[in-house]
Amino acid sequence: MNLSRLVPASGKVRAGLIIAIFFVLMAVFGPMLTSYSPQASGTDLLQPPSGAHWLGTTQTGQDVFAQFVYGARVSLGVGLFAGIISQIVSVLVGVIGGYFRGLSDDLLYILTAVFLVVPGMPLLIVLTGYLPSRGMISVAFVIAITSWAGSARVLRAQTMSLRRREFVEAARATGESRTRIVFSEIMPNALPLIASGFLFSVIGAVLAEAGLSFLGLGSLTTTSWGSMLYFAQSAQAFLYGAWWWFVPPGLAIAVLGAGLALINFGIDEYSNPRLRTGKSRGRAVRTGGPQAAALSTAGAAAVASGVDSPGLASIPSEDGVNEVAGPEPSGSAAAAAQIRPIDVPGAPIIEVRNLKVDYPSIDQVVHAVDDVSITLHRGELLGLAGESGSGKSTLTNAITRLLRNPAQVTGGSITYHRAARARPGASSGADPGAAEAIDLLGLSSEELRGYRWDEIAIVFQSAMNALNAVTSVGAQFDDVLRVHRPTMPAREREALARTMLEKVGIDSDRVSAYPHELSGGMKQRVAIAIALVLEPDVIIMDEPTTALDLLIQREVLDQVMALRDEYGFAIIFTTHDLSLLLEVSDSIAVMQRGRLVEYGPALEVYAEPRHPYTQALLASLADMGALV
Amino acid sequence: MKYLLRKVMLYVFIAWAALTMNFLIPRLMPGDPVALLVERLSGRIDPAAMDAIAESYGLTDAPLHVQYWDYLTSLAAGDLGLSIGFFPVPVSEIVLGALPWTIGLVGITTVISFLIGTGLGVVLAWRRGSWTDHLLPALTFLNAVPYFWMALILVLILSVNLGWFPVSHAYEPGLVPGWDWEFISSVLYHGILPAITIILASFAGWVLSMRNMTVTVLGEDYVTMAEAKGLPKRMVLVNYAARNAILPSVTGFALSLGAVVGGSMLTEVIFNYPGVGYTLFEAVQNQDFPLMQGLFLIISLAVIAANLVADVVYVFLDPRTRQEG
Repeated sequence: MNLSRLVPASGKVRAGLIIAIFFVLMAVFGPMLTSYSPQASGTDLLQPPSGAHWLGTTQTGQDVFAQFVYGARVSLGVGLFAGIISQIVSVLVGVIGGYFRGLSDDLLYILTAVFLVVPGMPLLIVLTGYLPSRGMISVAFVIAITSWAGSARVLRAQTMSLRRREFVEAARATGESRTRIVFSEIMPNALPLIASGFLFSVIGAVLAEAGLSFLGLGSLTTTSWGSMLYFAQSAQAFLYGAWWWFVPPGLAIAVLGAGLALINFGIDEYSNPRLRTGKSRGRAVRTGGPQAAALSTAGAAAVASGVDSPGLASIPSEDGVNEVAGPEPSGSAAAAAQIRPIDVPGAPIIEVRNLKVDYPSIDQVVHAVDDVSITLHRGELLGLAGESGSGKSTLTNAITRLLRNPAQVTGGSITYHRAARARPGASSGADPGAAEAIDLLGLSSEELRGYRWDEIAIVFQSAMNALNAVTSVGAQFDDVLRVHRPTMPAREREALARTMLEKVGIDSDRVSAYPHELSGGMKQRVAIAIALVLEPDVIIMDEPTTALDLLIQREVLDQVMALRDEYGFAIIFTTHDLSLLLEVSDSIAVMQRGRLVEYGPALEVYAEPRHPYTQALLASLADMGALV
Repeated sequence: MKYLLRKVMLYVFIAWAALTMNFLIPRLMPGDPVALLVERLSGRIDPAAMDAIAESYGLTDAPLHVQYWDYLTSLAAGDLGLSIGFFPVPVSEIVLGALPWTIGLVGITTVISFLIGTGLGVVLAWRRGSWTDHLLPALTFLNAVPYFWMALILVLILSVNLGWFPVSHAYEPGLVPGWDWEFISSVLYHGILPAITIILASFAGWVLSMRNMTVTVLGEDYVTMAEAKGLPKRMVLVNYAARNAILPSVTGFALSLGAVVGGSMLTEVIFNYPGVGYTLFEAVQNQDFPLMQGLFLIISLAVIAANLVADVVYVFLDPRTRQEG
């Protein structure tokens, strides 16, 4: 942790901090700027702002500016005090319940539910209504009592997920005490949530105090922003148009609340990178110093490979090759690419020529795919091997046009040779057998929609995430058919879905099942069946078996091969498992750091690997006994 | 249905907890507020009222569990005691008179604001990275504006300066409530400004949470797959992204509803709108403890019921909760 990392990267956070600091400074030093006492009445009644009274006066001649700055002290003080108490309760209840489980958790969960559901404001009003004397401290306490529950629930969920992580399990295994685990393992990781919960508690408390004081339920002898509004309202200031009286306190509450919420945006974006907007994404690299830059490069590479960032599951590579696609390949890895001619019977269907895909950032450009040329033929199984971050998923995403911001195709071409098939909606009259060459990168989004799934379908790495959890399996067949085969009647669509399920060995009645009712292997089969429903010419399989256990892997793979014999589609099969590819592929392409390092017929690559990287990979497989 | 059953049981428990809190608060508050009240009131009000207060606040010699039993049995009979401020009107009568106004105003505006907010949240998520991202700070500001201050500003601009809307009340004073057009149109006319206030002050919160959820969901594989299927954008957005992103919004309904109810109560006070919030305000000012408690009880039960409805809707939206076992 160096100092430059403490400077907030996002503009929103900076604005939020400036606002928060401004109000804190105003609360501390503001009263020194005015000679008036907030309660003292004067002779100038209900005057608009002037040199003598910067924010005008009230009906009894009190100085609004003095009230405003003294009120800031009270409102911020109550907010901070209540926020701190409320957050302490949340942390205790949430973390203890989430970590220790059992009866204490059940009781705390129910207690949280009670305070979460019973509406806070009415409870607050009733409680303060009974308070015999209403000092600001007791008001703050009551606010804290009514506001801790939401944050406690979030923290409990986080703690429950944290306690199952490896590092906590490891700490438990080494016999660390429970308190120590909670304070040194769990708490630091829940810190973003605690911080954001605290900010919300402060906003909530400032608002609650304002609301209570506005109702006359606060301490009316103390000047706060809320009590200013109370007196303004009871003097009917708005009927006289005395905006200077009631606009400043309300505006201050809203601006302060917005400022704290903006800081919270930063915390959210820190823990959930998907929320970042374009600008802060760029700035994160520039202002973060070298350390942060390296981190975000890793992030970009993770995006490139389609792996969720924290995962970055690397396979141990014997020669210590860095899995992150660097700005430029370093000298040792830059051996010449080894390309051998491919000789398969089918005509070319996808031709990728000199493709370049970049992830631009302010400091540097990551070449996720760098000058890659491959050709897929009809019926061919092309194996695409490489570690996470080697650019293989970026390559397939370029072919399917699913690249996400900020990835950009900066050079090269992808040509798709579309067979002229008699198919409703397809251009008819073409010479059967002749193929129509389509520039994939040049398709408009509407043209692209027609070509997707009909020509190229995808099987994703994890069907767990690729199937929509809230609709039935049948519905996920049905929407494809409704869009691509608009003339097909509903009954035929369902019959087709059932047929496809049977083709992958699943009972056709499961068409009405939801994804969570299927096992992992079944879900992957369903995903394959959905990919096949339009009988595409190409299926891209992105590590389709990685998430399955070995036995299921084998079954699914056999199924895919059998279906390929039946339908004759071509496959691009990406994986980091080279031994698997050697077994099933016609040809193999090996990628490293965005470059194609070896490409040729599978048998030749196996028998005589020419690139040092391929040699290293094969040697490590041989050591493990995977190749016999 | 096990999921729903568990939820129903939890809400029954919460309702019981609210009832009990209602019983305990006046008895356990420091400083013995009830005794102070009785002392202050004695001699000023009807002795019959004094007896009623003494009884409903446990200024009897009966032990606590007997008082509790009495409290529960009279609640079961719909007896909330007698109001002090409007003695001898039963609290239940006042509560029932105020309830329709609040359910009409707050109920309708909450639904409208939820619909506008979630819809806009999805649109902003889909268009992230474009100029619409600049709306976020403005929405954040709007979300932090206190309801009652928003009401004051709107009254200043739209009522006092422009004279478009009445400043207060739910209908023209002097009209006799009834199902005739004159009365109904007056109610609608008077309701516009409070409704605008509540919607303006509450919709931004829904927008922000729905946008964040949708942005998170848009990165999921199932959305990518829907896009790869060649489905039209609208279908991807609605059937895949929004359909999943709305789930936490429905679960979080409890949290937001509490805030909306609280804010709306303050709005009612500003507009002298004869709903539950305004009545509660009056009760607190008059130190009308029985009315205060009755109102708190009814508000809590209404919010608990709304949460139960949200959970039933959730079961329809998420098939995973329908799993047996």
